[in-house]
Amino acid sequence: MAVAPHTEPLKPLRPPRKRRVNESVRTWRWSDRIALVLCWATGIALCLIAGAIVLYMGVKGLQFLKLDMIFSRPQASADQQGSGGFLDPILGTVLLTLIGIVLATPVAVATAIWIVEYGRPSWLARGVESGIEIVAGTPDIVIAIFGLALFQQGLFSPLSFTAEGGAVFGRSFLTAGAMMSLIALPMVFGATREGLQAVPMHLREASYGLGKTKIATIRRVLLPAVKPNISTGAALGMGRIAGDTAIVVVLLGATLRIDPEGSIPGTNVLRGTGGTLTSYVYNNSPAGEGNAEQKAYAAAFVLLLIVIALNFAVDLIARRGAKTGLESTRLGA
Amino acid sequence: MLDRLREPWSDRRAERTLGALACLVLIAIVLMIVFVAVRAWPSFHHNGLAWFSGRGDIDQQIGVQVNTGANPTRADYTIGAWPLIWGTILTTGFAVVIGVAFSVLTAIFIVEFAPGPLRRLIVPVVRLLAAVPSVIYGLIGILVLVPFVTNHLVGEGRKESVQYVINLSGTGLLVSVVILTVMITPIMIAIIVDALYAVPRGWKEGAVALGVNRWRAMWTVSVRAARPAIIAGAVLACARALGEAIMLSMVSGSKGFAPNPADGITFIFEPLRPLASTIVEDAESLNAPAVQATVYSFALLLLASSFFLSIAAWIAKQSMRKYGVR
Amino acid sequence: MSRRLRLLGVSAIVAGVAGAAIPATASAVPVITMSGSTSVAPLASLLAKGYLKQYPGRVKFKLAQGGSDVGVADVAAGRVSIGNSSRDAKSSDPGGLVFNKIAKDAICIVTNPNNKLPNLSQSQIQAIFSGQVRNWSDIPGATATGSINLIVRTAASGTQDAFQKIFMGSSNVFSGASAKASNGLVQSTVKSDPNAIGYVSQDFVPGTHAVSYQGVGCTLATAKSGEYGGVRNFWMVTRGHPRPASPLQKFIHWAQVSSRAQKIVATHWVPLK
Repeated sequence: MAVAPHTEPLKPLRPPRKRRVNESVRTWRWSDRIALVLCWATGIALCLIAGAIVLYMGVKGLQFLKLDMIFSRPQASADQQGSGGFLDPILGTVLLTLIGIVLATPVAVATAIWIVEYGRPSWLARGVESGIEIVAGTPDIVIAIFGLALFQQGLFSPLSFTAEGGAVFGRSFLTAGAMMSLIALPMVFGATREGLQAVPMHLREASYGLGKTKIATIRRVLLPAVKPNISTGAALGMGRIAGDTAIVVVLLGATLRIDPEGSIPGTNVLRGTGGTLTSYVYNNSPAGEGNAEQKAYAAAFVLLLIVIALNFAVDLIARRGAKTGLESTRLGA
Repeated sequence: MLDRLREPWSDRRAERTLGALACLVLIAIVLMIVFVAVRAWPSFHHNGLAWFSGRGDIDQQIGVQVNTGANPTRADYTIGAWPLIWGTILTTGFAVVIGVAFSVLTAIFIVEFAPGPLRRLIVPVVRLLAAVPSVIYGLIGILVLVPFVTNHLVGEGRKESVQYVINLSGTGLLVSVVILTVMITPIMIAIIVDALYAVPRGWKEGAVALGVNRWRAMWTVSVRAARPAIIAGAVLACARALGEAIMLSMVSGSKGFAPNPADGITFIFEPLRPLASTIVEDAESLNAPAVQATVYSFALLLLASSFFLSIAAWIAKQSMRKYGVR
Repeated sequence: MSRRLRLLGVSAIVAGVAGAAIPATASAVPVITMSGSTSVAPLASLLAKGYLKQYPGRVKFKLAQGGSDVGVADVAAGRVSIGNSSRDAKSSDPGGLVFNKIAKDAICIVTNPNNKLPNLSQSQIQAIFSGQVRNWSDIPGATATGSINLIVRTAASGTQDAFQKIFMGSSNVFSGASAKASNGLVQSTVKSDPNAIGYVSQDFVPGTHAVSYQGVGCTLATAKSGEYGGVRNFWMVTRGHPRPASPLQKFIHWAQVSSRAQKIVATHWVPLK
């Protein structure tokens, strides 16, 4: 009598344990090993440098920062050491960043869409791309002096105010914001263009196959898919605007307090002059004439915090967008 | 009429509107270039090609132009910009070369070798570094790095060797290049990492399946495929380095001096002043016609160089287009 | 109402508001705008604050910066009412400008705190800064050893202009000297470099050692009494003489003669009287 081979009841199969195949580095050539060490070294060095910068600014900033500085307005005085805080520069930074990015994003996104999706005639498309690259490479001081000369023409007097001598002052939040949007434009444009080019053709073709027009495809399919890219570009742009000093000093008047101009609430601040944290830090550092290093450190610390918060917020948006957007990986997703 | 705006637009109208916006951008940019060129013309007209050569102490030439104020004579327009051009080439060149090497290695590290928690840490760190304002870099530069270099690195003997020509202090090429590299690297890292992630996984897995080790697979497959992105990142970083004015005016020494490589190691401690920093420092006297022509001629040179940069990048990318990678 | 009519109505209201906005900027209170030197700016803002405390609501001030040359050019073009200048009038300035002196400021020669140089005469200063004397061992009274590090200001600076006129006379500053773009940078360089010597505005002396000039120490007291020789002027520049009894003229007159203004100036600078 044949006996069936004794088999235990089959245990449920466990999924195979994922094991990382760690090939030993000992099998590598020397040049590869050196390259590995270098990669690790640069990665660690980057973290160390960033850590050192943040720590140093943090230590010095906390040493000099008092809470009432953030909420009190700057006082006029011989040097800034004893007096007042920097509430106005903080508000100025926020306002200028908002104006700049609000002006830049629609134009940049529209231009990127036109270049990637349409792009006819092609010489015009190449010209626009080169133009934006040229703007990306222009020093901010050149844009600032161009803006000052441009906005001092009589045509632009509603944007700032007209002095009793009859000449246009040319310096206000609106004029500075307009030039700031020019420097944020290449960032948003570049990021959007990369995102649009990474969208696979089959997504568009599926949409056309369903009968949608090109513009509807752009609105309903492509734009949501590149929203994380637009956010990344906007974050880079906002960072660039928040960190810019030259345009502020030349085009915003660098007054200590926000000086509104005119009597309509809202536009009066836009047409007025003011300062931002960057010009405040610059003026109080040894490079300026404010002679108050402690205030410069405190304001620089606050500026760093604002920039970190900005990045964090945009990172959140990008991550949320990546889940609903394309599968293609994003930095940090 | 508002309802008509809300209806879906026809393709032609959309194309025209978007095209109009793009043209607006182009017109603004062309306007800026023309404006700068017109104001720069007197300087080029007077100096001709000698504008590019070193014609003596440029600080003195600019000083003369500032002092003549509103009524310059023809001879006051003389300027020889070579020391500034050389300073710009040095800072930008060193920073970009070191930065590209650093960024590629770090990008490979982030994509391939970093353990999970470290990768999740590094990515926000890179974003953070990219966003730090240049004033803060300048502040750290003049308050920390410059005194360190002055007191510890520049010895007495070095100072005496160049005493009759130039005064060595901490500000100079070394600090400028170090801070500039740290400033431009995060931008390049972000772009290269994005490109490395976008390389189709199958390519790299194919290499690994053929028995190549991880480093070599990355280097020969992914990095090669990401070459257009590396070039794009390098161009962006080069443009940023050319345009950096405030930070460099704080740490580069503020002297229109052309550092001399023949001095050996001392060369990296010599002060210099790139073109953009010169514009910042002289923007105050912009109303004097001679100074205006000089400053705008520097601006025109910077614009032209970023134009040539973008052409060079386009040519480089064209040669890679045949590999199908955009 | 038809859709087109509604649209016309909305745009008419918007245009009306916008049209009303621009004339409304002619505010009831006259505005005095100032721009110019960064060294004069703290003094100008303090004077503005003091003036408003004494005569509240009479005028409104707007203070921008940009540098002495920007101030002079702005006031000549009519963009501002007052241009602040820390340098004297130059023959190359636009015509029709009136320089009103409001204060004086001392320029001090400074060295590192470890190198307490007691005194320098004008000829010694000229020899040092023109590069003829290169070593600290050649200067009597210096405790530093080694080569002298010269720290000067860049070409467009008002302080440098004043230094050249008052201290250097006809000799030129050594072309290889380290040039800094502001008083603060000179101060921080001199503080950290034991072999450095430079010149700053009197406000920026803390942290460094101020050298006596021709036997007189560089302090606010000696500058006020007139003993200290290295003093320069601060000006408020206007286009022509201000019209009598205009708010502008009243402010400048107040700044020049009133006791309250002199008290404000005396806190950190040298008053006219």
